[in-house]
Amino acid sequence: MRLTRRDRLVLFAPLAVLLGGWLVVPALIGLGATLTTYSPLTTTVTFAGLQNYGNVVHDPQFAEATRNVLIFTFLAVPLELVLGFCLAYLLRRPVWGRSWWRGLLLLPWLVSPIASGVMWHFLFSGATGIVDFAQGWLGRPELASPVGDVRLALPATILIEVWRVTPFATFLLLPGLASIPEERWEQATLAGASWFRRIVDVAIPEVSPLLLTVGMLLTGLSLGTFDTVLILTGGGPGTATLTPALYSYGRAFVTNDWPLGAASAWLIAAGVAAVGAVYIRLSSRRSH
Amino acid sequence: MRRGRLIALLAITCAFLLPLGWTALASVGVLPDNSSQPPSWTGRVTLEHYAEIGLAEPAFWQELATSTAAAVLAACLTVAVSLPAAFGLARSRIRGGRTLTQGFLVLASLPVMAYVIPLSDLSRRLHLIDTFAGVTLAEAAVTAPLAVFVLHGAVAQLSTEWEEAAVIDGAGLTRILTRVVMPLIAPSVVATLVVLFVLDWNMLLVPLVLTSGEVKTIPVGMSDFFTFERELEWPVAAAALMVSLAPLAVLVGLFHRVLERFALLAPAGRDIG
Repeated sequence: MRLTRRDRLVLFAPLAVLLGGWLVVPALIGLGATLTTYSPLTTTVTFAGLQNYGNVVHDPQFAEATRNVLIFTFLAVPLELVLGFCLAYLLRRPVWGRSWWRGLLLLPWLVSPIASGVMWHFLFSGATGIVDFAQGWLGRPELASPVGDVRLALPATILIEVWRVTPFATFLLLPGLASIPEERWEQATLAGASWFRRIVDVAIPEVSPLLLTVGMLLTGLSLGTFDTVLILTGGGPGTATLTPALYSYGRAFVTNDWPLGAASAWLIAAGVAAVGAVYIRLSSRRSH
Repeated sequence: MRRGRLIALLAITCAFLLPLGWTALASVGVLPDNSSQPPSWTGRVTLEHYAEIGLAEPAFWQELATSTAAAVLAACLTVAVSLPAAFGLARSRIRGGRTLTQGFLVLASLPVMAYVIPLSDLSRRLHLIDTFAGVTLAEAAVTAPLAVFVLHGAVAQLSTEWEEAAVIDGAGLTRILTRVVMPLIAPSVVATLVVLFVLDWNMLLVPLVLTSGEVKTIPVGMSDFFTFERELEWPVAAAALMVSLAPLAVLVGLFHRVLERFALLAPAGRDIG
């Protein structure tokens, strides 16, 4: 049907109000405020230019946090995509009880990041842990919790997040893989393609727009990693698992350094916006 | 080949569910005894740890109710405002419509942390802090971009002939949306509602920052367990975890057939203009 201008107004107005009031306007007001010394508690506000951003960028803690989140994203997102793709590939064709497998495999994603942090805290620690249990069977000595170790905390956090998010990646990739026409597989099989070639020549080209979309979504969310580390490590030991989101939260709500918190949060947004621009560019190039 | 796939699935599913199985055992009092050689299990099956949740965190059941109400209302509100917009996006040939749709996905991947600090300040000034409505509206807004993207994909796949027929019959916009489009994409709408419920239920930052203890959801309650140095015992924490997971597991179990309709379809075609 052809929509009139009035139709469009009716259709878009509710969303515009909700997104405007609770997302866009606060974000823009926040952006403006980061250029000043504004904080909810102060009475006098003066213009500060880019001073807040300068303070954030020169804070060694923020540099540590940025480094951590980049390592986190570069390792976790590809792992989630590859594992998620493999699992979706296994579930692609009808298999006995397929929809039940799908439901069961989604369970880890249903655990909230906070609950996941609580759970792994105990699974890693000695008396109650799954790690020590396995170690005991292998006849090895007890292991200290990896989240308490400066070198192992970040890799352990990454593994936990991969455990939680891979099922979500499978869930998002499966519709794309399942919708590939059966002839495409048959053709490839008749042409004598191995399972590996079938994946590379049939599956990946067909789902690559979807892979790009899911990759973008997971990257953005990974750059904002917050609740996964809040309980599990609190950013520690030291700054081993500190992330920019945790840094912003700490500055704005714990140490009441509002301008620094808001400015660093905007730097996360800028990072995601850059990734988003690359995504829009790549996906429009594909369709030309 | 088929049997191999089944065995691989079984192995992977077991590996992914092992941590949850461990937690489920702990919640009913079956704990590992890592000091014996080789390690063994101790304790007999009991449900008392579920009763102890209420003692350790008196507000837990209240939090459960708040979480449920907020997630249900937020998910419904999100779909109610996103579906018309998705329909409008899919059916109007606006300049840059494709980029706009992709922009919603970028917005969906924007971490809440990026805008929650000024949002908390604004909410305080508007007296929405510590109110149920404030939390619900903010949760709805956070998840709306994802809903628009997914529902847009569902509407765009739909043939327009049904709508054309309804227009000839003299149906107005509201009628077309509720009587023609909604029923045709009902599986996608239900799948979206379930995913939104999960996202809202598990959301931490919004209720954490927009409340100061009056309105508490499960994730906020759980984070309290630890931040106030009253660390919970593992069996009780495991029981709380199982209780917070159960509604989501039931939802997914009930709707597992329609959930595959939650698809991130990239907007087709090129921008006009």
